[in-house]
Amino acid sequence: MGQTILYVLVSLVICVAYFVGVDHFLMDSQGLDFWYLFRK
Amino acid sequence: MGLVAGKKLFSIMALCAMIGLLLLPIAVSLPSLAMGADAPDAVKKDGEAKVEKGRDVYYKTEGIVVGAPAPKTVDGPRDYPRYNFESRVLLWFANQQHLYYGSFVLAVPIFCMVIEFMGVVTKDKAMAKRYDQLAYDFIKISLTAYSLTAILGGILIFTFLTLYPAFFGYLSSIFRPVMHIYALMFVAESGTLYIYYYGWDKMREGFLKWIHLSLSVILNVIGTLLMFLANSWIGFMMSPAGVDEQGRYLGNIWHVIHTALWNPLNLHRILGNMAFGGGVVAAYAAYKFLASKTDEDRAHYDWMGYIAMALGVAFLIPLPFAGYWLMREVYAYRQQMGITLMGGLLAWLFIIQATMIGILFLSTNYYLWQALGRMRGAEKYQRYIKYLVFVLCCGYLVFITPHTIVMTPAELKAMGGQQHPVLGNYGVMSAKNGGINVIITTTILSFVWYMRGNKVSTVSWSKFGNIFMGIFFGCAYFNIIGLAVMGYYIPANVRVGLSVPQVATTLSCLFFMFALNSFMMKGAKQMGPIEWGKISARSQYALIMLATAFTWMMGLMGYIRSSVRLFWHVNEIMRDNSPWAYTHTVGFAANMISFNVLFFWISILFVFWLGSLGIKKAPVEAKAGVPGGAPQPAGGH
Repeated sequence: MGQTILYVLVSLVICVAYFVGVDHFLMDSQGLDFWYLFRK
Repeated sequence: MGLVAGKKLFSIMALCAMIGLLLLPIAVSLPSLAMGADAPDAVKKDGEAKVEKGRDVYYKTEGIVVGAPAPKTVDGPRDYPRYNFESRVLLWFANQQHLYYGSFVLAVPIFCMVIEFMGVVTKDKAMAKRYDQLAYDFIKISLTAYSLTAILGGILIFTFLTLYPAFFGYLSSIFRPVMHIYALMFVAESGTLYIYYYGWDKMREGFLKWIHLSLSVILNVIGTLLMFLANSWIGFMMSPAGVDEQGRYLGNIWHVIHTALWNPLNLHRILGNMAFGGGVVAAYAAYKFLASKTDEDRAHYDWMGYIAMALGVAFLIPLPFAGYWLMREVYAYRQQMGITLMGGLLAWLFIIQATMIGILFLSTNYYLWQALGRMRGAEKYQRYIKYLVFVLCCGYLVFITPHTIVMTPAELKAMGGQQHPVLGNYGVMSAKNGGINVIITTTILSFVWYMRGNKVSTVSWSKFGNIFMGIFFGCAYFNIIGLAVMGYYIPANVRVGLSVPQVATTLSCLFFMFALNSFMMKGAKQMGPIEWGKISARSQYALIMLATAFTWMMGLMGYIRSSVRLFWHVNEIMRDNSPWAYTHTVGFAANMISFNVLFFWISILFVFWLGSLGIKKAPVEAKAGVPGGAPQPAGGH
């Protein structure tokens, strides 16, 4: 059970970091601000 | 031994000489393409005083005028001779049929090349024979269709010449060298195709097999170049370049070819052709499967249908993204053109397009779920399919929801505006992008399930791999839907960029999860063989549905792309002054597309029938290595 939780947490960290990175990078490459909503 | 080696050497030399001869006309004609350099010289010979310069409407560069202005046509028998029928409809029919067959015969040799290559490199001899037989079956289907393509091409040219002589005269004056090269390349392609087909049996072994495979590469390079050249004509009609504002050619043929929309059209068409070709072959296999009398035949055609479907869908998945790029370039070229397409006169056709795209993906998923039934061990996924159905339906409903609805004034008043108070929110691009990406991601998930259907991973990290895959897909859904929702709260200029990370999310699932799955399934334990032929008849109807939807959608998109020029033969250069320079109603267009689809399918059934007559004469031993009388283990999917 503990191992499963660890796997889930590691996967979550990798996936969330990856998708946030993709979103940020691709919006930035178009000259757009991905964080516009959060900054407002 | 020496005699055999000598014969082989002689065969190779003869083959090379034949290919060289076929390609010679193209090589000879290339100098004439020297960027129109000879044309200005010709003008200079008559004296400097006659040199007139013009400004390229797209590239904004100056060039020496070497062509006549675009003719100003008038409605009458000189510019628009006609029968007692709408000329545009006749041209539409001829064009569409030629395109259907052209797409088919361009796509199928690419499949052949891929399948033959798989057969050559695979170490399993039985599988190699199966792949070789499959590739041969594919090319056999396309051979009769090839003749029909050429005939339809002739009919199309005669239709242009007889019904639109002024327009065709102008277009051929601009593209004269390109049209000649096109014709010569067609000769080269025909020659290569015949050598490829008839040489199949002679070049079955060893080095000659590689020569044969190389022929398929040459065949496909020529075919693709042919398509690119034909695309340059429609690209010029939509977004002219290389001419001045009067339509006078400025001597640079590359500018005329390389218009603003040429590359997006090339990509979109090549993907579309491949998806269409896969669909047609899958439908052929489905038809043969349903008509099969023996288990052996059923097994063969089930496998053939699956391979064709997988190849078609592999190109269908990136197709919407190529479509986005094309639309983006249309907007960049002329914003008004983009608005006419997506938000104006033709917007409702895009709703129909969305419906068709949804049907394509639903049919694909349905087929894959049915295909799970031919694997032992895949039952574990059956109970989750209902969730995929739910997700697909939600994505589909959002994707097809229109922004505005056609209403009577009374209905408009009752609803308080053109947009529905609830559904109107889903009819915006932000939500639609989310909808289609959810659909595609779900299709990828179905594929992953299918690929691991009868297998259990034996790698030491399989538990982590499974968890990671599940979370990756979960996060991908969350990201796609999150970005779609976010689009409602940010300005339009920021929102427009959200489609890029959404697409990247979907493609990440495609590439990373397929790769991860492949690593996990290396040396996997098989729960049982794939029982080819043991699949429901319903699945085969799904393949036929897939092919019909492809055909219909291709007709629709062709009509949309062509209609966006409105009353122009060549956008903003040559006006269409015929009595048919108006946009048809959605209903008429839909009926016309349906007629074209029906005609194509009736005629291709005839082609299939003709192909079946020659089965007994096939040079490769019929069904050699085909999954034997009934279910037989297959090494891969």
